Amino acid sequence: MTNSDTLAVRIADLGKTYPGAKAPALTGVSLSVEPGEIVVLLGLSGSGKSTLLRHVNGLEAPTAGTVTSLGEEVAALRGRDLRGLRGRIGFIFQQFELVGALTVLENVLTGGLSSLRGPRVGIFTYPRAMREKALGHLDRVGLLEFAYQRADQLSGGQQQRVAIARALMQDPEILLADEPVASLDPESSGQVMSLIREIAAERSLTVICSLHQVDLALSWGDRIVGLRGGEVVLDTRTEGLSREQVMEIYGRVATTTGEIEALEEELAEAREQIREREAERTAARERLAEDFANEEPA
Amino acid sequence: MTTVASRPAPALAERIANVPRPAPRLSTVVSYGVIIAILALGVWSFIGLDYSLKSLDTTGKNIARFLGMATPMQWPGWEVTGERLADGTTAYVTTWVGFEPIWEMFLTIVITLALVIAGTALAAVLSVPVAYGAARNTTPHALVLAVCRGIGVIARAVPDIVFVVIFAFLWFNSGTLPAIVAIGLHSVGMISKMFADAIEQIDEGPRLAIRSAGGSKAQEFWSGVVPQVLPAWVAVTLHRADINLRGTVILGVVGVVGIGYELDEALHGGPAGMRRVIPLVIIIIVLCVLFEIVSSLLRTRLLGVQPTGKGLGDTVARAVSRRQAGEADAGSTATIRTLDRNARIEAAMHRPWDRNRLGNTLWIWIGVLVVVAAFIYTAPDVTKMLAPSWNELVDPERDRAIWPPHFGSRSWADVMAAVVTTIQIAFAATLMGAIISAVVGPLSARNVAPNSWVRNFFRGVALVIRAIPDLVVAILFIIAAGIGPQAGALALGIGGVGLLAKLIGDSMEEVPNGPERALAAGGSTRTQVFFSSTMPMSVPAMVSHLMYLLEQNIRSATLLGIVGAGGIGFLLLNALQGRHFDEVLAYVLVIIGMVVLVESASILIRRALK
Repeated sequence: MTNSDTLAVRIADLGKTYPGAKAPALTGVSLSVEPGEIVVLLGLSGSGKSTLLRHVNGLEAPTAGTVTSLGEEVAALRGRDLRGLRGRIGFIFQQFELVGALTVLENVLTGGLSSLRGPRVGIFTYPRAMREKALGHLDRVGLLEFAYQRADQLSGGQQQRVAIARALMQDPEILLADEPVASLDPESSGQVMSLIREIAAERSLTVICSLHQVDLALSWGDRIVGLRGGEVVLDTRTEGLSREQVMEIYGRVATTTGEIEALEEELAEAREQIREREAERTAARERLAEDFANEEPA
Repeated sequence: MTTVASRPAPALAERIANVPRPAPRLSTVVSYGVIIAILALGVWSFIGLDYSLKSLDTTGKNIARFLGMATPMQWPGWEVTGERLADGTTAYVTTWVGFEPIWEMFLTIVITLALVIAGTALAAVLSVPVAYGAARNTTPHALVLAVCRGIGVIARAVPDIVFVVIFAFLWFNSGTLPAIVAIGLHSVGMISKMFADAIEQIDEGPRLAIRSAGGSKAQEFWSGVVPQVLPAWVAVTLHRADINLRGTVILGVVGVVGIGYELDEALHGGPAGMRRVIPLVIIIIVLCVLFEIVSSLLRTRLLGVQPTGKGLGDTVARAVSRRQAGEADAGSTATIRTLDRNARIEAAMHRPWDRNRLGNTLWIWIGVLVVVAAFIYTAPDVTKMLAPSWNELVDPERDRAIWPPHFGSRSWADVMAAVVTTIQIAFAATLMGAIISAVVGPLSARNVAPNSWVRNFFRGVALVIRAIPDLVVAILFIIAAGIGPQAGALALGIGGVGLLAKLIGDSMEEVPNGPERALAAGGSTRTQVFFSSTMPMSVPAMVSHLMYLLEQNIRSATLLGIVGAGGIGFLLLNALQGRHFDEVLAYVLVIIGMVVLVESASILIRRALK
C-alpha cells in the first residue's frame, strides 16, 4: 500500500455491475502491477478480462473499489485530465479499430491527437515533427512502405501492427492490449505478440494483455492473472511454471462451474451474432425503404 | 521468434523518401470531386441568382407586405370584411357565416383525396407490366427492358402538369379524367422503377421451383415473383399517394379541381382572396401530414412489418406499433389431431377465420372499396377517351399541333438561360441544404452529439422540416418573398435540410464505432474523434445523399418555375397556358434531357463510390 505511487496500476477491490445486468461483471478484483511488468490476463470470454482492462484507462467506471493508474485515481478524473491520463496509456483492440477510409499514416497520427488541440483533417494538418515520428513508428513495425495506402487495404496482422504504431504515437507508459491476436492467423499472431514484447523491452513499458490461450500466455507473459466469472482465481509468475500446472489451475477454472458459464457465454455470443445479423438485415431493409422515401416528389 | 523489422536497411530518411504513394482510389477522387463541384457550382449559382443585401431587403419588405395583405386570416365559416375609417386605416370585422363554407372545404378535400387515390391506383396497375419488362430477371427481351426503362424515365421526367393540359385538350370537357390519367402516367415512372428494383431483389428459388415443376412464364410470375414483391408494391404505391397529394397543389395552377385550385384562386382573388391564403396553406399542410401518417399506419397494418422510412408518418407508425408490440396475438392453430385422417383433411379445407385472416380480408376489401369509391366520386367521363381531338394535335398545319417542336418566339439562348436559372436554383438550394445539414446532421447523430438533449433537438428540427410538404412551403415562400428564383432556391434549400440532415445523421450513426472508441481511448477529444474517425468514414454515404438531394432539387426547381420561380418551368407554364403544344413538347424535351443527364451522372457517381 505504501508504494502505491510507484506502482503502474493499482486496483483495489474493484467491482462492476452493468446497469440492467443480473450478475456483476467484476467482483472484488485487487491487482498491483509494477512498472515494466508484462502481465497476461487469462480467462475465457466473459470472464471479465476486457472489463478489467477498460477500467484501467477509464473507459468504464467502477461500481465499487478504486483503480489507480500511473498514480491517478481514474474514476476521479474528468474531461481534460481523463484525456491526459488516457494519452499516457496505449490501448490495442482485438479488432484493430483503424479508420479504414484514412491512410495508414494518418491512422498512426491520430494516436498523437491527445497532445494536440483541436481537430485535424489530413496528414498535413499535423506538425512536421509528428509526421516524422509517425513514419519512424511505422518503420519500427515494418510497414513503412504502406504509409500512404488506405488502412482497410491491409491484412489483419498488418492492421494490428499499424494499431501498435498508433499507440506508440502516444509515447505511452502503459500498454493495454485486449485479445490483440484473437482475430489473427497463427503466423500474424506470432509477429504481433513478439512485436509487443520487443517494443515493451525497448521502452520499458508496462503491459497488461488479455489472452485466452494458455500456451501463448505461458510463453509470452512474465505473470499470469487468471480470471473467472469476474474474480481473480490465479495470480502467479510464469517463471518455472509448467504447462501442466497452469492447465490444472486453468482446467479447474474451466471445468467446474466455469464450463457451464463458458457454454452460456457461447450461447450469448451466438445470440449476439444473430442480433448483429438481424441489425444488418434491418439496415439493408431500411436502405431499401430509404430509396423509396428518397424518390422524388414530382 | 520472427522479428518484424530487423533487416539491415538504408537510413530511415532515405527510406521515408522512397515510400510509394499509391494513386488515390477512384471513389476517393469522385467523392471529393463531387463535394468540390457542388461547392463551386453552388457558389456560382448564388452569384448568378444575384443574392445580395439589397435583394434580402426586398424579400423582407415583400414578406411584410404579404403578411399585411394576408391578415386577418379568413377561415372557412367566417368572413372578414374591411371598412375604411376616417383616419385612413381599415378596420376588419370577422363574422360567422355558417357551416356551408366548411362543408364546401370538406368536399374540396374529399375530391382532392379521391383524385389522388384514383390516379395512384391507376399508376399501380399500369406499373405491373412496365416493371415486369424493366426488371432484369423477368424481362422477356433486352429490347423490352430498354423500352420499359425508357417509359419509366420519361414518365418520371415529364411533370404531371404537362399531361393534364394535353389530355384536357384531347378529351375536352371530360371532367377529372385528364387529372387522373396524368397522375397515373407520371406516377408510373417512380412506382415501376421501385417495383422493378424489388423484383430484381427477389429470392430466385421459388421461381426456379415452379419452372422445374413445369410452370409457365405467367405462372412463374404470379406464383413465384408476385408474392415476394407484393409488400414492396403496396408500400411504394401508398408512398406515391403521399407524393401525389402534395403534387395536386401544383396541378391547381392549371385548373385541376381540389384544394390546389382553391389556393390558386385565392392567390388571384384580390384582397379578399389573399386573406384565405394562409388558412388554405395550413389546411394543406395538415392534410398532407395526416395523410402521410395514415398511409404509414396502413403500410404497417397491411405488411405486418415495422415501418423503416424517415418521414413523420413512419415515425408515428413506429411508435404506435411499438406500443402494440406487447399484445402479440397467440397462434391459433387448433389441435385437431384427435380426428381421423379424412376428418382432419375436411377440417383443414376451411381455413379458420382467425383474427389475422379476418383483419387482412377486412383491410384488403376496405382498400378496394376506397379505390372504387374514389373512381365513382371523381366520375371521370371515360367516353371522351373514345373521341379524342387527335387531328388538332398531330396535323402540322393546325395551330395547336404538337409537331414539330419549337421554341416559339424564344431563341435557343433564351431557353438555355432559363435552363441555367433552373440549374442554379437547384445548385444553390443543394449548397444551402448541405451547409445547414452539415451542422444539423452530425449533431443529430447519437455518436456525435455531446448529449441526448442536443441530439433530440436536432432530430426534432429535421423531423419538423421533413413533415412540412416542401413544395407547399416553397409556393408560400414564393408568394410571400416575391416571385423569383432567389425565393425558390431559399425554400428548396431549407426544405432539403429535412431529408439530408436525417440521412447524414443516420449514416454517421451507422459508422462502425470501434475506431471512435480507439481514438477516445488514446485521449482524443470528442471533436477530434469526429474529424478523424466519424467524418472520414461517412464521406461516401454523404456524397451519395448529396447526389440524391441534387437530383430531387433539379426536378423540384423545374416545378417551382411553374409557380413563379422562373427558369424552364416558367417557359413551360407559358406554353401550356397558351396551348402551344409544339412549344410544350420542345420544353418537355429540354426537361427530359436535363433530368436524364443528372440521373445518369448520379448513377455513374454512385457506381464509382462503391
